[in-house]
Amino acid sequence: MKLANPLMTASGTCGYASEYSDFVDLRQLGAFVTKSITPAPRTGNEYPRIIETRAGMLNAIGLANVGLEAFLKDKVPLLRELGLPIFVNVAGVKVEDYVQVAAALEDVDVVRGVELNISCPNVKAGGIQFGTDPAQVGAITGALRKVCRKNILIVKLSPNVTDITTTARAAVEAGADALSLINTFTAMAIDVERRRPVLANATGGLSGPAIRPIAVRMVHQVYTQVARAANVPIIGLGGIQYAQDALEFLLAGASAVAIGTALFVDPRCIVDIRDGIADYLRRHLIARVRDLVGNLQTDA
Amino acid sequence: MFLAEVVANTPLCGRHYLLRLALPQFPPTAAGQFVQLQCRYPQPQVSMREADWPADRPPRLNQPELADHEAFLRRPLSLADRHDAGDHVELEIIYRVSGTGTAWLAGVQPGDRLSVLGPLGNAFPIRADKPLAALVGGGVGIPPMIYLARALAAVGHAAIAFTGVRSAEFLPGTLISDMPPRSDGTPTFCLGEFARYAVPAAVATDDGSLGFSGLVVQPLERWLDRQRIDPSRLVVYSCGPEKMMQAVAELCRRRDIECLLSLERHMACGMGTCQSCVVKIRSDAEPGWSFKLCCTDGPVFNARDVLW
Ligand SMILES: Cc1cc2nc3c(=O)[nH]c(=O)nc-3n(C[C@H](O)[C@H](O)[C@H](O)COP(=O)(O)OP(=O)(O)OC[C@H]3O[C@@H](n4cnc5c(N)ncnc54)[C@H](O)[C@@H]3O)c2cc1C
Ligand SMILES: Cc1cc2nc3c(=O)[nH]c(=O)nc-3n(C[C@H](O)[C@H](O)[C@H](O)COP(=O)(O)O)c2cc1C
Ligand code: FES
Repeated sequence: MKLANPLMTASGTCGYASEYSDFVDLRQLGAFVTKSITPAPRTGNEYPRIIETRAGMLNAIGLANVGLEAFLKDKVPLLRELGLPIFVNVAGVKVEDYVQVAAALEDVDVVRGVELNISCPNVKAGGIQFGTDPAQVGAITGALRKVCRKNILIVKLSPNVTDITTTARAAVEAGADALSLINTFTAMAIDVERRRPVLANATGGLSGPAIRPIAVRMVHQVYTQVARAANVPIIGLGGIQYAQDALEFLLAGASAVAIGTALFVDPRCIVDIRDGIADYLRRHLIARVRDLVGNLQTDA
Repeated sequence: MFLAEVVANTPLCGRHYLLRLALPQFPPTAAGQFVQLQCRYPQPQVSMREADWPADRPPRLNQPELADHEAFLRRPLSLADRHDAGDHVELEIIYRVSGTGTAWLAGVQPGDRLSVLGPLGNAFPIRADKPLAALVGGGVGIPPMIYLARALAAVGHAAIAFTGVRSAEFLPGTLISDMPPRSDGTPTFCLGEFARYAVPAAVATDDGSLGFSGLVVQPLERWLDRQRIDPSRLVVYSCGPEKMMQAVAELCRRRDIECLLSLERHMACGMGTCQSCVVKIRSDAEPGWSFKLCCTDGPVFNARDVLW
């Protein structure tokens, strides 16, 4: 599938798009990725849900979302007006949850793809995260592969693993059309005066510029060891704030990039990033973004 | 999002500053609304645009965040007033220096440019059927009350302000020199910010260093005792520390007075997307409450509906 430009939103940082209508024209994007959708609505975690850290933030929102039914009824009509390819991020606590949401999305024309958020604990497998165990990544990807016919299947990898190429390989072998990486790092902040965790949930996911160098490394690893040979595109994300950040990801091997936390600071950064990439291509006499992907110079 | 020019950034007291921002234009605003202010210079110091480079210096392409100041997210700050001139808008913000972002803000100079996201949030509803208002502000909850005083004056409603601070040196306001706040808590034209809208004010300090010694709800309660007005013609607005707002809400509940509170939550986006700023609000649905967003559903909520 071809996008007008390589910029997308990161799930959970752009709601269902209409929230941003007063602040930026999202039609500047190549594609839009929604907040995680679960079969039933979820209220999410108790407050406090976020805390700023140096060059980033922790969040423990708890997958608060409107649920599948309200998404289809209330949000899809608004998303349709965007005129962009829509990727719906899907979450759940058992494989059937993912299957249920993905199956319903097969009938929605504006939805072009499903992105699996596999950083959730799998209740059936005793609460271990789907995304940290290659066997489970393979199983859930395989199950969704059977459901996703019209929609492309994107698997969003968790960085909370020793070797991300193992989960990447499992997803690719089970039929993923694309990989997105990375989700947030499980992290913790402590209020030393109160001697308590800052977040009501105790731990949260670290995002923002602080994680970018690790994300770039992971994209590069997955690209060189798994994705390039399998011809599976990578959506790179994690801490992108400026055009040069996005370029790092493209050079590391990502075919597209997603902007998350930086949108909170400056929703219009997508325009600057898009223009910055275009400028760079022109300056280096590179015809298309595709020619930049994974195009790292090696001296050897 | 707007780029504003700093007109003035002046200390009001030991901890608070008055920031005046000029913008060529700004959407209509109402008292109770806030902005998300970027507490660092708006442009990255490294630009990818060739046109932005100095002739002799190609951009350094790595680690742009190192060139930024520390505050990463924006800071929510209430509008304390607004003035519309022919060709520009001036916004007033009163802030307390309390951490990284606000400490940086204290150093900005006239002529500096800041990025303003807003206006955000709902507003204090002005009730046509309630011609008398009590404005109860504690600490940095005082600034939105100034803007509200202006809004009420504009529709001809009477208002009285009750302000509470820890100590005289933390008062985010200007004392009128020949009119010290009364120690019995009776409102007088003692604070310039309120007096300019013909609103008398009481000042309470925790340590007794200025005005009434004690909590701000006490002068409020005394004043309510003296009022002969039907409680249904009166509305209480409040913003400040949670304990103070709880006390104000409880007082209003006992006396059957409508009470509207402006709540504070840690915010990442301020635009309703991140779901971080949740407030528990009573609802008919199971389980008797639902999470509302302080940034878009609020910050103003009816005290009756807030579950603390
Ligand atoms: C709707 C609203 C209106 C506000 N209006 C005013 C105002 O008019 N004047 C004023 O002085 N202050 C106001 N505040 C509080 C102000 O946002 C904080 O004092 C400020 O964010 C502190 O930033 P810092 O970097 O100096 O502190 P730090 O402690 O370094 O901040 C760390 C992080 O915590 C957040 N944070 C810290 N304290 C608060 C707080 N009290 N509320 C919300 N987030 C916080 C910051 O935004 C930042 O992300 C308002 C808050 C809200 C939610
Ligand atoms: C407030 C917040 C909410 C998020 N919600 C989701 C979510 O619902 N599903 C998901 O797959 N990722 C979610 N993420 C992760 C982001 O999509 C992204 O992977 C991560 O934040 C790294 O990118 P960034 O540093 O550019 O934000 C969320 C991130 C943040 C900050
Ligand atoms: S601050 Fe993001 S939803 Fe309110």
